[in-house]
Amino acid sequence: MHPPAHAHRPGPRYGWLLLFLCLIPLVSVVYKTAFQGRALSDLLPRTRWDLVYELHLDGGGGPVSLQGFLPVDDRRQTLVAEDDSSPGLRFIDEPDGQNRTAHWMGMRVPDDAIVHHRLSVLTSALDVRLSDDLRVPDAHPQSVTPWLRPEERLQVDHPDIRERLADIGADRGRLVPRLTAILDHVNALPSLDDGDDTDALTTLQRGDGDAREKARLFVTLARAAGLPARMVGGLVLAGVESPREHRWAEVYVGGSWVPFCPSTGGFAQQPAHWLTLARGDHDLFTPSAGVGFTPRFTVDSEQVASPRALAASTPLNLWSLFQRLGLPFSLLRTLLILPVGALVVVLFRNVVGMPTFGTFLPALIAGAASATGALWGVVGLLVVVVLVVAVRSAVQRLHLLHSPTLAILLAAVTSALLLTSLAADRVGLHALSYVAMFPIAVLAITAERLYLALEERGFRDAGRELAGTLVVILACYLVMNSLALQALMLQFPELLLLVLAADIYLGRWVGMRLSEYLRFRQLIPGEVAA
Amino acid sequence: MSWRDLQWKLSLSGIFGMNRRNVELVYDRNPRHLYRLADDKLLAKELLAEAGVPVPDNLASASGLHQLPALLETLDELDDFVVKPSLGGGGNGILVVGSRIGCGLWRRAGGSELTEDELRTHLANILFGAYARGALKDRVMVEPRVFPHSIYADLWSDGLCDLRIITLDQRPVMAMVRVPTARSDGKANLHQGGIGLAVDLDTGRVNRAVCDKRSLTRHPDSGVPLVGLQLPLWSETLETACRAAAAVPLGFLGVDVVVDEALGPLVLEINARPGLEIQNVNRCGLGLALGEVA
Repeated sequence: MHPPAHAHRPGPRYGWLLLFLCLIPLVSVVYKTAFQGRALSDLLPRTRWDLVYELHLDGGGGPVSLQGFLPVDDRRQTLVAEDDSSPGLRFIDEPDGQNRTAHWMGMRVPDDAIVHHRLSVLTSALDVRLSDDLRVPDAHPQSVTPWLRPEERLQVDHPDIRERLADIGADRGRLVPRLTAILDHVNALPSLDDGDDTDALTTLQRGDGDAREKARLFVTLARAAGLPARMVGGLVLAGVESPREHRWAEVYVGGSWVPFCPSTGGFAQQPAHWLTLARGDHDLFTPSAGVGFTPRFTVDSEQVASPRALAASTPLNLWSLFQRLGLPFSLLRTLLILPVGALVVVLFRNVVGMPTFGTFLPALIAGAASATGALWGVVGLLVVVVLVVAVRSAVQRLHLLHSPTLAILLAAVTSALLLTSLAADRVGLHALSYVAMFPIAVLAITAERLYLALEERGFRDAGRELAGTLVVILACYLVMNSLALQALMLQFPELLLLVLAADIYLGRWVGMRLSEYLRFRQLIPGEVAA
Repeated sequence: MSWRDLQWKLSLSGIFGMNRRNVELVYDRNPRHLYRLADDKLLAKELLAEAGVPVPDNLASASGLHQLPALLETLDELDDFVVKPSLGGGGNGILVVGSRIGCGLWRRAGGSELTEDELRTHLANILFGAYARGALKDRVMVEPRVFPHSIYADLWSDGLCDLRIITLDQRPVMAMVRVPTARSDGKANLHQGGIGLAVDLDTGRVNRAVCDKRSLTRHPDSGVPLVGLQLPLWSETLETACRAAAAVPLGFLGVDVVVDEALGPLVLEINARPGLEIQNVNRCGLGLALGEVA
């Protein structure tokens, strides 16, 4: 092996610096999670459901009232926005025990009046681990004893119910095996949706039932076993084309209400896409007599940072600082995540060997695009590309000086964005009209870089740089818009030191760029020359 | 081939990638604040001329728009000249004027006419930094045309062949000739279709000719044989390059030399961050060549 004959002077020692830069944030993160109780699970993104009740009422010109249920906050769902626009109908909502009821009323309601109620709800899945040691307690808190009593359609004390409970072995033993036996038994009954709505005893005797009837039987058996239990009604938001009603149950175990689903067999768990609306055996919507009623639900979902991750992000009080200054939260997010985007650019430039316009322009474009979506970032960029090429060929014949040409380019870019917005709004392409929201400074720099690349290096090189820029923008966008990463950076801004360590490491890295393996392949011994 | 195998072979081949060139050669030998000694061709030429290194004459220069009228007056008295941006790179912004047709009218070396208006716009664009790789202003330099030694001139008549000699600590490491072709449009640029000739440092003989990573034996347009060609004034050429390297406080350089028919080797410019394609032309990693130098 040849010695390093050209006597490259070794640089300063970076090992200790890197170790230090890596250790500080790791120690800090461990300290915060272990001693300050910052749960990492709080950082995970949650699903935001944008749900719309679209309830059609045929009032025939007479008085109409409609009662329904609206979601309340609990440990797995949080209402973040709500708004009602039901023309000709008065809307009031009121708390009602553990539920919230809504009333829509009107005196002269025509046919095909529409209740339009919009809800944004954050949800997460709930999966409760029940200890095998749990016993069925002899006494319960006063507040839950109503959920032990028989009701009209929940014949807890009927001998057939007691007998079945004994048959399946759920009348004795520890809690978990008894609940398992009840759930398995009810879940095993054939599903039958025959349109009628029977009580628990009838369901037991017929040996089949729909989701609501099975929930009744489950609740009745659980109460008979000495466990407070109640029906739950709600909407299944995903997995089917449009949201549909569903019924399941909750049992009071170890101080909290734990969900069980007798029709799907879900034991102590509730998926993120189940929205709880009503506790108790209620119809979700009850129109006044004689009124035609057709409910429709539409839903859209988006991944967002959890409110707790946002609320907890105050190690340096950045969040409260931004709130006091009235700065948008998205700006804080972008500022914290931009160094990560810059690292992505460095990786592409120095490790992959992909050419881009400017060093950090792709990260800036991706950061700007997080407000408008990646699509509009790319559209904005392409508008600029088309313009630069067009303006360049138009202006070339005039033999103008360099700086005024760039000024013309900037004027063209701004007018084109405005005209695009205007035209998009005219033809009803509302999403496209947001293209003007794209930061003009970023696009102006892009225009100048592209123009210079075209002038200095020609179409082929400029095209390659453009393609590289697009790829790196998308990579930056994916990384910078990763919710987990954003939540992590917001919660632990000290992780920026890790980014710094990576930058320093790459700053002294002398390995071949991936593109150079191709470029110099003839020089690698044993590689076939092209 | 496994990744470890590949890395082992790479270390044997001594290939320098961009990262390794920057960290081990450029940053190590060339302090960043001295880059301008190489990047600014007028400055470099002054330094070289002071040290007695042969460089093309300076016919005129301008650093601001107010000097343009005087510059145009000077040019109006010249028959042939070359206009260059002082900060330009890759041959961009270079205008070669072959002859004067009349008052305020010239003919480019390529044959097309050049009006005084066009020349003025070009000069102004240079001053505004249009070819200055990011800088906002630049200087214009005017040099006499170089008429290369017949051996170089015979390779291809359109454009100028130049030699690129890599030096480390004032010693030559690797050399190549860059030859324009019909496709490269008069520019001796390897990335635009020019030919690279690998030169044996000891003898000055061409032992390979490469165009777009393919080996050639003859010039594709003129048919002149390339491999085996003996370059003229070789030891003077190498010596000139080394003297140029000694004249600037930069340890790692790409020295560009032309051999003028009458004046012999002239240093056109020096480069503090020379390109790496020379490795493909010589089919040899810089690391191996550096090892032989030591």
